Amino acid sequence: MEKHKIQYLDGAMGTMLQKAGLKPGRCPEILNITDRNTVVSIHKQYIEAGSQYIYSNTFGANRYKIKDSGYSVDELVSAGISCAKEASMGTDTKICLDIGPIGQLLEPYGPLPFLEAYDIFKEMLISGEKAGADLVVFETFTDLYEVKAAVLAAKENTSLPVFVTMSFELSGRTFTGCSVQAMATVLNGLAVDAMGINCSLAPFEIYPMAKELSSLTDLPIIVKANAGLPDPKTGLYSIDAKEFAQELIPFVDLGVSFLGGCCGTSPEYIKEIINETSSKIASEHYKTGQSVVCAPTNVVVIDGVKVIGERINPTGKKRFSQAIRENDLDYVIKQAVEQADAGADILDVNVGVPEVNEAETIVKVIRAIQSVTDLPLQIDSSSVEALEAGLRVVNGKAIINSVNGEKDKLEKILPIVKKYGAAVIGLTMDEKGIPKTAEERFIIAERILKEALKYGIPKEDVFIDCLTLTVSAEQDKAVETLKAMRRIKNELGLHLVLGVSNISFGLPNRELITSGFLMLAMENGLDLPIVNPNVESIMDTIRVFNVIYNRDKNAEKYIEACSNKPKVEMVVKSPVTTSFESDSFDLHPLVTSVLKGLKDECRQITIELLESGKTEMEIINTYLIPALDIVGSKYEKGELFLPQLINSATSATESFDVLKTQIAKNGSKSVSKGKIIVATVKGDIHDIGKNIVKTILENYGYTLIDLGKDVPPELVVKTATKEDVKLIGLSALMTTTLASMKETIDLLHKSNHECEIWVGGAVLTPEYAKEMGADYYAKDAMESVEIAKKVFGK
Amino acid sequence: MELQISEFNRNEVLLYLGWRGTEIDEDVAVAINNAIKITMNKIHPRFIWKEFPIDKSSWTLVDTDFGLKGNDIKVLLSDCDSVILMCATLGAEMDLEITKAKPRSLTNSIILDSCGSAAIETVCDEATKIISNDGFVNKHFTDRFSPGYGDFPIECQKDFIKILDTSRQIGLTLTESLIMIPRKSVTAIIGVANTPQTKRFRGCAYCSMFENCTYRKAGGYCGKT
Repeated sequence: MEKHKIQYLDGAMGTMLQKAGLKPGRCPEILNITDRNTVVSIHKQYIEAGSQYIYSNTFGANRYKIKDSGYSVDELVSAGISCAKEASMGTDTKICLDIGPIGQLLEPYGPLPFLEAYDIFKEMLISGEKAGADLVVFETFTDLYEVKAAVLAAKENTSLPVFVTMSFELSGRTFTGCSVQAMATVLNGLAVDAMGINCSLAPFEIYPMAKELSSLTDLPIIVKANAGLPDPKTGLYSIDAKEFAQELIPFVDLGVSFLGGCCGTSPEYIKEIINETSSKIASEHYKTGQSVVCAPTNVVVIDGVKVIGERINPTGKKRFSQAIRENDLDYVIKQAVEQADAGADILDVNVGVPEVNEAETIVKVIRAIQSVTDLPLQIDSSSVEALEAGLRVVNGKAIINSVNGEKDKLEKILPIVKKYGAAVIGLTMDEKGIPKTAEERFIIAERILKEALKYGIPKEDVFIDCLTLTVSAEQDKAVETLKAMRRIKNELGLHLVLGVSNISFGLPNRELITSGFLMLAMENGLDLPIVNPNVESIMDTIRVFNVIYNRDKNAEKYIEACSNKPKVEMVVKSPVTTSFESDSFDLHPLVTSVLKGLKDECRQITIELLESGKTEMEIINTYLIPALDIVGSKYEKGELFLPQLINSATSATESFDVLKTQIAKNGSKSVSKGKIIVATVKGDIHDIGKNIVKTILENYGYTLIDLGKDVPPELVVKTATKEDVKLIGLSALMTTTLASMKETIDLLHKSNHECEIWVGGAVLTPEYAKEMGADYYAKDAMESVEIAKKVFGK
Repeated sequence: MELQISEFNRNEVLLYLGWRGTEIDEDVAVAINNAIKITMNKIHPRFIWKEFPIDKSSWTLVDTDFGLKGNDIKVLLSDCDSVILMCATLGAEMDLEITKAKPRSLTNSIILDSCGSAAIETVCDEATKIISNDGFVNKHFTDRFSPGYGDFPIECQKDFIKILDTSRQIGLTLTESLIMIPRKSVTAIIGVANTPQTKRFRGCAYCSMFENCTYRKAGGYCGKT
C-alpha cells in the first residue's frame, strides 16, 4: 500500500439496496442469494465510479442477526463475496469482507460474553477468506471491546489484512463512551492495517475527530462519512454529492488516505470525491510517542505521576486469599472501588493464591473490576499463562507486570505483550538476582529495552522497575535504587515504576519512611508509583510533589484535597428529624443506628459491645434482628420507603462485618443460620430485587451465595448440590424469562437434591409460582425473610 | 437524533422508590438530589422515529413486515391512517453508572435506577413533542403504546429494533429474552389521526413501569394513570 496515495473506497450499500426496493427491517444479506443481480450491479456502479475497494454485502451476516433468515452464515457470506468478485472481474478492485457489530452488546453493557463474540466473528471470517476476500473491514463499531474480539478473531484465524472503523457522535465518543484516543491506543497496539471513522456524522462533523486521530497513529486512516441526516419522512439525506466531496478535501491534508462514503452516499458521491481529491497526496502523519494506557472510556496518558493501586493482591493478606479461594468477587470489587475512589489511576491485579487456577481466576476478576471502574489495569503474575489469559479479556490497553532480564522470561512474555498491544514493566534483575549497584541495574534495563524493541514493542510501552529493597535490612541499597532510576530516566528516557512500601518493612512508623522514600523516588524520575492509595500520607506526598514541580497548576488539586479533609473528622452528625425520632427513646444505640441507617455508628457500637463482653450471637439476636424487624414492619406499613430500608440494611451489614472479622479472629462458631442461594434466572438481567433480598437476608444471619444474573439452570443445580443448600431463591422480571425460571425449578426437582425453592419478581403471582412448582412466592424482601425463618426454623 | 432534557420529575423518582407520602430523611433526600444530578450528567438521550402508513386490510405497516397484533393496538389505532414508530434511550453510560454504584452503595444504585426510569419518560415526552412539531400540523397523536402493553406482544420489540435500525442509529439493542440494552430505553408506537385522541388505556398493564413498579409488586397502585 502506498501510504500517501489516496485510495478510494465505495459508498453506502444499505441506501442503494433500499432504493432498489429492500423493505426496512429485512435482512439485506439474503439478497446475495435471492437477488444477486441487484447486489452485483451496485458493486459494479461503485467500481465504475472509481472505487478501488468494495465492501461485500455481509455487514450483518452474523449468526445472531441472520438466525431467522433460513440461510447459514457461510451461505450468506460466501454469496456476498461472490457477488463482489463477479462485479470486480477483470479489474484490480480489492474485495473487503464487510463485518458490522453483532447487534448484541458485550459485557459489561450487555449479556454477550467476549468469547462468544470472538466465535461469531471467527465464523464469518473463515467463510469470507475461503470465499476469496482480500481483506476484512470491521465498520460502524461502537464498542471497543467488540472490536478487540473481532480483530483477534481475524488475526488468529485468517491472514487477511484488517481495517477497523468506529462510529462516533458529535461529543467525540461512541454510544458506549469510547473516545477516539482510546480507539487509537488499542488499535495501534493490536497492529491493525488501517483505522478510522465511519457512519453517524457528516464529513465536517467528523473532521475534528479525524484531526485528533492523525496525531495518535501512524497507521493509514480511513474516513467514510454519512451524507448528513436522513429525513424521517422521506428518507432523503441532507448533503449532496458535490458538497460532500468538497467537505472531504481538508481531510487529505490531515493525512487521511482512504476515502469513501457511508449512509446516504451513492456512486455519484464517489465520482465527486475522486474529482475533488485525485490530484492530491495525503500528508504525512505521526503519532506523538506518548505513553498511554486505557480503558475504552478512560485514557491515562503518563505525563506526570500516575498512581498504580496495589491492593488487589493476596500476598500476605489472609482475607484476600480467602476471598479468591471462595470466589468472592464482591470482596475484590470492593478493593477496586475503594482504590479508584481514593485516586488511583491504574489498578494492579494479582490473584496468585496457591492451589487456585490463576489463569481462570484472573479472567473473572478482571471482568468484575472492569464492570465497576474505568481504570486501566496492570496484570500482575509470574505465570505466563495467567498473563496471557488476562491480556486476552482485558478491555483497553493494559500493563504487564512483569518481565526481567532473564532470557527465558523475555522470550516467553514479550511476544504476548506485542500481540495484545500492552505496555510492559521490566524489573532490573535477572538469573543472578537483584544487582547491588545502580550500574548493573542500568545495564539490565538497557537489555530489556533492546529486547522489547526487537519484538516490535515501542519504547514508550516499556516501563522499568528498579526494585526497592528493605532499608532496615540493606541500608546501603536504597540509594542505589534511586541512582539507577535517575540514569535510566536520563539516558534511556523510559518511564519508571516502583513498588515503594517495601522500603519501610521492619521499621516503626512505616508511613513516614515510605512517604519520604516516595518523595525522593519521584525526584529521581519515578512516575508510576505502585502504592496503597487509601493511605492518606502517600497521596499527600504525591500531591505535594505535584505542587512543588509545578504540575498541579495553582495547587488546585492540593487545595481541593485539603478542603475535603475536615469532613472526615465530622463524626458527630447534626440532629436530623427522622421517621424514627418519636420511638427511639428507649432503644439501644445500635438499634437506633440501624433504624437511622448510620453506618459508622453501627460499626463503632458493635466494636464497643464486643469489648464489653457481649457475644456475636447476643449482638445479633438482641439488637440487630429486632432493629431489622422494626424497619421491616415500618416498610410494610409504608412508613418507610425503599432507600430507607436499604440504608438500614447496609448499616446492619457494617455490624455484621465487625462480627465476622471477630469470628475469623477468635475461631468461634459461625453465626450463620443457614445457606441460601439467590439468582436471577437465565436470560434475565434485572438484579435490583435480587440484590435487595440478598442484603436483607444476610442481615438476618443467613449465608448467601449470590450467583448473579443471567444464571444458567445447570449452575444453580450444581451449586445447590455441591454446597448442600436447602433454600434457593429465583428471580425473573420478564414474561419472556419465566420459562427459564420454570426450567431451573424443573432441573432442581429432577436432580433429587433436597431443597425448597422460592420465587419472586414483578410478573409473578402466587398462583403462577405454585403452577411452576415453586414452594413459596415472596412479593418482597421481607416476605423472603419469613420464608427463610420457616425453612430453617430460626 | 440527540435531544436534551433540562429536568425530570422528582416525584416520579419517589414513586418508583415506593414512597407513600411519609417524611423523607435528610440523608435520603440528599442522596436523591445527588442521584438526580448524576443522572443529568450521565444520560445521553437519543431517539429515532419513522412514519408508516397502516394497511388496515392486513393490519400491517406499509412496506414492512410489521404486523399490528392484538386487539388493543387496533382499538388504539381505529381513527389512524398512519403510525409513528419511535425508539428512545438514555444511553449505555447510565447503565454503567447504576452498575458502578452498586458496590459503593446499594441505596444509591437503586435511587439512580429510579432516576433513569423517570428520565426516560421525560425523554419520550420531549421526543413526542419534537416529532409532533415536524410536519404534523392539524394531526392528533394517540397515547404512546409499547410492546408488552395489554395484548400487544412483547415480541414486537424485534420489529422496532430491525425496522428503525436502532443499534446503528441510537445504540439500542435487544437481548434474546427481549430486554432492551441500554436498559433505560423505550420503544413505542404512536397513532396519527385527524381527530383529537383521548387517553384510551388506563391501568398497570399499559404502563411502561409494569415490569419494575414497586407499587404493583406490593399489590398496590400508583394512581398515576
